[in-house]
Amino acid sequence: MTRVLLRLVLRWETLLIVAIVGGGIWSATLSEFFFTRINLLDLATPYVFIGLLAFGLTFVVIAGEIDISVTSILAVSVVSFAQLLDHGVNVWLATAAGLGVAAALGLVNGLLVGVLNLPSLAVTLGTLAAFQGLAFVILSGEGVAEFPQRYLSIGGGYSKQELPHALVLLVAAAFVLGLLLHATRFGRYLFAIGSNREAAHLSGVPASRVRVTVFVISGLMAGIAGIAYVGFFGSARADAAQGSLLDVVTAVVLGGVNIFGGAGTMVGVFLALILVAVLRNGMQLANVGGDTQNIVIGVLLLAAIAAGNLGRAIQDGSISLARLGIRRRGVIRSDAKEAAIAMSVESQTPKGR
Amino acid sequence: MIAELRGLKPQQIAAAAFRLREIGLVIALGAAVVFFAIRAPNFLTVGNWQDIARDVAIVVVVAVGETMVVLTRNIDLSVASIVGLSAYISADYLASHPGTALGVAALIAVGVGTVLGFVNGLLVVVARIPAIIATLATLAIYRGLSFQVTAGDQVSAFQLPDRFLDLAASKPLGLPTLAWFAFAVAIAGSAVLRWTRWGRDFYAIGSNPEAARFAGIPVGRRIILAFTICGALSGLGGFLWASRFPNVDAVAATDFELDVITAVVIGGVNVFGGSGTIFGVVLGAVLVATIQDGFTLLRLSEFWKMFFNGAAIVVAVTIDALVTRRLQDALRRRRAEVLAARHAAAPPRPEAAP
Repeated sequence: MTRVLLRLVLRWETLLIVAIVGGGIWSATLSEFFFTRINLLDLATPYVFIGLLAFGLTFVVIAGEIDISVTSILAVSVVSFAQLLDHGVNVWLATAAGLGVAAALGLVNGLLVGVLNLPSLAVTLGTLAAFQGLAFVILSGEGVAEFPQRYLSIGGGYSKQELPHALVLLVAAAFVLGLLLHATRFGRYLFAIGSNREAAHLSGVPASRVRVTVFVISGLMAGIAGIAYVGFFGSARADAAQGSLLDVVTAVVLGGVNIFGGAGTMVGVFLALILVAVLRNGMQLANVGGDTQNIVIGVLLLAAIAAGNLGRAIQDGSISLARLGIRRRGVIRSDAKEAAIAMSVESQTPKGR
Repeated sequence: MIAELRGLKPQQIAAAAFRLREIGLVIALGAAVVFFAIRAPNFLTVGNWQDIARDVAIVVVVAVGETMVVLTRNIDLSVASIVGLSAYISADYLASHPGTALGVAALIAVGVGTVLGFVNGLLVVVARIPAIIATLATLAIYRGLSFQVTAGDQVSAFQLPDRFLDLAASKPLGLPTLAWFAFAVAIAGSAVLRWTRWGRDFYAIGSNPEAARFAGIPVGRRIILAFTICGALSGLGGFLWASRFPNVDAVAATDFELDVITAVVIGGVNVFGGSGTIFGVVLGAVLVATIQDGFTLLRLSEFWKMFFNGAAIVVAVTIDALVTRRLQDALRRRRAEVLAARHAAAPPRPEAAP
């Protein structure tokens, strides 16, 4: 019993919840308006596009790759949408085109990484700059700020004047993508590829195809994030979301996704997003400037990975627990191992060809 | 092309590939020069080339450091933030102590850079954080420090001593002083990578970290060293930056890392680590600066430069990967041929047969 409790307490997600509550209490001491229902509901809205980007990136990172071009894809997507709208195209058609552009740019990343086997770090660093330049070129440095109200209400509207639509979108996306990640064969493939690509390939996982797909998902999520972005900020500019990459990567890694691939949960990323939102909101209440906030978020990102590395080192015994004064109690369950077991079970099941 | 390489030793094949890369860069550079000379009338003037030399200079100083990091199969995205911070700190010091020797200000800048680079190295080696994430975080953290240090202030050109501004303005032997700095750094970097043991270790680590460890190379210490040198050279780059762009504030050199990384990658340093030369990187920097200068003369938007930088990285990485793969195939075939020849010359003894 104690062991089960201990395991529950030591789970990453539990720590995140404790941190969120701590951040909330700290914020409440700064402003009496923090704990009002409206503020709590509104708190996350500016971070919805960051969350949607982070959900997409989660798939990429679990598959053992990285995509740092997501903010640039968002920018290209929103400026393409705005440019089409400006030329009199129907708003929903333009929205669909914006999503299509985002998915296509993701496909470009995916083909370069998955088919040509190029390092995702270098590819997406290149496309980060290339897409950003493209966004500026499409809109020639101007901004568009006139959109139909119905479109804006997706990212900035409220239902019953209280519940932000964006929040509903965020929770729905987390739910759907969580199912895709944790309850489908495709999701298990991701964990397998992220743990050991060679082994996954040898056991029949279509590794290239899956790796292309994760980049398309990440691109498409950047497109959806663009809708939330335009709805919230009410403008489409080529430098949209520039500078948000730190928050996106922090949400993913702080959420317990193994930066080396093979492990992570959608719930964790969702909680980490809330934590980032609470911290930034609290720092704003405490009158801390945006660039100083970046120092805190950056340190948090580094600390999260360092803590994860320490945890894994303890798990595989390269750092002895006795030295840290803790006795080792069994092997802690890891998502990667789970996926590997699921894989081997599946590969034993005969398939009709 | 590959067929002609048969019969060559592996080292010769590799050397041939490098020469091809550098010849390719020279051809691209020549094409760019011809194109801009036709389209932009003032491109082929001495003044314009001195401008390009000033731009190349700062990129080269930082790119030599970045090269060492990339050779070890890592990357440093934080260089621009280090350049900005050290530019401000050294310029601010010169502005408030106008009598100081320039060497002291340069040492301060290099010192700041060294510390920040060392921190990057510790994060990557000791905390085992992947370089791209670690330096993405320090990119934001060091820039945040810049805002703390400047507190909204800026150093302006009129506050700085003329002898400092002369670093960018004066032209001994027709080349700007900045370019002479870059020349010295490139020669020193090249010498280190060619002849010192730890310079060779960078290549060994990048080619195969595991094998390097088994060969007794202190891998962790070498990677920390590479990041520290990169930080120190970024600090020096910051000092030079302040003399070239003497109105320094908290956002100085933002996005400069893209220029540096583009120069390194199209200069032929493999992003998987283990191969590349300073000579190639200098060529890469000259190509980047020439094309950007040409874009400016043609009054193309700033953003086409960004697009060019990004596209150049992707294209260079793609070409590198394809060439490397064909090269590896050629080497593998060659090894198989050698083994087969040996096999035919001395048939296996009966007990060795299955």
